[in-house]
Amino acid sequence: MALEIKNLTKQYNKHKTGLSNYSITIDRGILGLLGPNGAGKSTLMKIIATISKPTTGTLFLDGEDIVKNPDNIRKILGYLPQDFGVYPNLNAYEFLEYIAALKGVGGPDLRERIDMLLDGVNLTADAKRPIGTYSGGMKQRIGIAQALLNDPKVLIFDEPTVGLDPEERVRFRQLISDLANDCIIILSSHIVSDIEAIADEVAIMQNGTLLEKGTQPDIVKLVEGKVFETVLDSQQLNDLKARHLVIDTSRQKDQIRARYITRGYQPEAGSVAVNATLEDAYLFLTHTKA
Amino acid sequence: MKYIYSIIKADYLQRTRSYSFLITLAITIYAAYSFVPPPTASYTTLNVVGYKGIYNSAWVGHVSAMMTTIMLSLYGFFLINGGIKKDVDTGIGQIIATTPITNFGYLLSKFLSNFLVLLTISALTFLISIVMFFVRTSGSPFIIGDFILPFVFFAIPALFTVSALAIVAEVFLGRKLILQYILFFFLFGALMANVVGHKSSTVNTFIDTFGVNTMTNSVKDKVNTQYHEHIDAVNLGFTFSKKNRFKTFEWDGISWTGIFIASRLMWICIAFGLVYFSSSFFHRFDFKQAIGKKKKAIAPANISHTNGTFAAGINVSLLPPVVTDYSIFPFVKTELLLLIRKGPKWFWLVNGGLWISMIFVKLDIAYSYLLPILLFLQVTRWSELATKEVTNRLHYFTWSSYKPLQRMLPSQIMAAFIMALALALPVILHSAAAGNVYSVINIINGAAFVVLLAASLGIVSGGKKLFEILFFFITYLITQKMPLTDYLGALPHDSPIGFMSVMLILNVFLGAVSFSVRSWQVRHL
Repeated sequence: MALEIKNLTKQYNKHKTGLSNYSITIDRGILGLLGPNGAGKSTLMKIIATISKPTTGTLFLDGEDIVKNPDNIRKILGYLPQDFGVYPNLNAYEFLEYIAALKGVGGPDLRERIDMLLDGVNLTADAKRPIGTYSGGMKQRIGIAQALLNDPKVLIFDEPTVGLDPEERVRFRQLISDLANDCIIILSSHIVSDIEAIADEVAIMQNGTLLEKGTQPDIVKLVEGKVFETVLDSQQLNDLKARHLVIDTSRQKDQIRARYITRGYQPEAGSVAVNATLEDAYLFLTHTKA
Repeated sequence: MKYIYSIIKADYLQRTRSYSFLITLAITIYAAYSFVPPPTASYTTLNVVGYKGIYNSAWVGHVSAMMTTIMLSLYGFFLINGGIKKDVDTGIGQIIATTPITNFGYLLSKFLSNFLVLLTISALTFLISIVMFFVRTSGSPFIIGDFILPFVFFAIPALFTVSALAIVAEVFLGRKLILQYILFFFLFGALMANVVGHKSSTVNTFIDTFGVNTMTNSVKDKVNTQYHEHIDAVNLGFTFSKKNRFKTFEWDGISWTGIFIASRLMWICIAFGLVYFSSSFFHRFDFKQAIGKKKKAIAPANISHTNGTFAAGINVSLLPPVVTDYSIFPFVKTELLLLIRKGPKWFWLVNGGLWISMIFVKLDIAYSYLLPILLFLQVTRWSELATKEVTNRLHYFTWSSYKPLQRMLPSQIMAAFIMALALALPVILHSAAAGNVYSVINIINGAAFVVLLAASLGIVSGGKKLFEILFFFITYLITQKMPLTDYLGALPHDSPIGFMSVMLILNVFLGAVSFSVRSWQVRHL
């Protein structure tokens, strides 16, 4: 199973471009999308979810044109948007029944499937309560349950961990990993550690373009040997910022510990080379390739 | 004072930068055009039984101002209502509550922003009235004062009053939208009762919110004096009549007396007073009051387990296999549930009372009054029919589902149609028992019209307001027996088959608009 995107452009108006000549091939497994706000992650996900039409470009799922025939992917799509809502007057069970109807899922086992999904996201006890009374985390969990209702083969999660507490995030990651064997999963997040923990491949985006795509080791390799740490005072920090890309600072009494990536210059005296991470690579790419 | 100005500006811009406001302006242009009908038209906007004024500056200026004042006072309430609710919904209210702005300052800014929105619309009708003067007259001198003064003295105090009433309604009735509508419906009727049929007197001048009583009396006096008549009735508003041969008279406008001006100033003061009074009771976004029963607190015993995380997780391989079922009946069921659960439960008692009344009262009363009112009482159910997935941000799911256009929208329309028919059932059965097949068909057509009008206006405008305003307007005019708005076919029509066909064509048109616009929307989020 493969999703092939070629030369995709989404022009909202004269001044606003969502995606610009974007090409990527997404295979089975988990693709993590990283990028600053406005990078085009949500636009890309909406186009794949068929709720936004590209201005130009093609999108094929196993050779099937999903821009022309969106209903084909809709049958096997699970989508968790970033800022989705619910009908507050329905309870969790009724809501999932409704979404099941939307997805064309029925049959005698539907009730059992819904029960199991509600149990899986720990909402069984609250299944009869109107969703309008749910907390943010509970709504997010019902959102995750609905995405799995139709046994999806393409799963799109836009900022799925927003509203989840740390323990829920860990559970969510486990769930995603379990699903990844026979699905295409596209996941966007601002939290690099979420992507780092589960994504097989990472795509870094900025200004509607793809900066880099590859496995995590491939991406991290881009900054290997360039990441250092040093301890300095605040005046020296300004000098450091002028020469290098400072990616993190932490205060230690009167001094500051700074983590930075060299940009062509030699590392500062007294600096220690440290292991590069995905976050380093992400910040490096979005600051140097823009 | 500067922050009040900033709130007014932001609020005004937020309200006017919307498609529904543009559509409102377009309808306003048409309405203003219709205020000055051509001599051959089958209706008048002001006549004294058998007489109507010659089009001159005074007539066109005064009649346009009068019609603007009454019409805008009627639908303006619906247009501006909800300014505070919006701040509650968006969470802006909680930020405002933490600022130094006083309750009065905040309500004053909302009130003035309400007023500015209405003023913008009336300014448009003012301009159109001048255009209409040149379109409809030839050779009559143009006197600008005949246009400005009636707008200033009729419209402005009335618009201040309506703006204040919207604030009062929101402060005291919060989210009880339907109750606000009903109360305003009756209040407007009571205020209108002061306009017509009252003799000229100081007291009557002061109790007339719209200020047009002075004008109608002046017009009546002119006819009675010129033609030695003793006419006491003035037809105000859109009055349809097959008779279009009227005797004419030249009317030069009213003289703006000190008492009249004082009465108009009094209404402006009353409006400010109402806002000031309301500020003492304003909830200032205290959640318990602002949201009321909408968000019931969860009992601690109930939430202990809800805050847990994923339990054992989801083992996808253990889930029962998916069976596909693309029928639309599960949707229809859920849509019906959503329609039924909308609004407070006690409101079904009111519906039930009216429904049972329709069984026992005369068919004529049930058909002409109770049924349109019962259908109007469901206005908040109809108005969100095709907008709720967007307002609840559920459209991401619905529009990315399998064949959303062919399955989703028909189920919404079908569910609402079923409900409308169920509400109309006593009148349908009554008419069927009386052997009146035309009435049965007309009611079915009318039920479909309400549903399709709600769906199409919701889809096109992206909001609920436009339908709510229009439906209120239509219902009010039905109770005034205006044939043009008789969507249920309760009034006698020249050609019953012609009427049925027009309604059918209208329904097909509204359905086509709904489907074609939604078809575009589902792929252009």
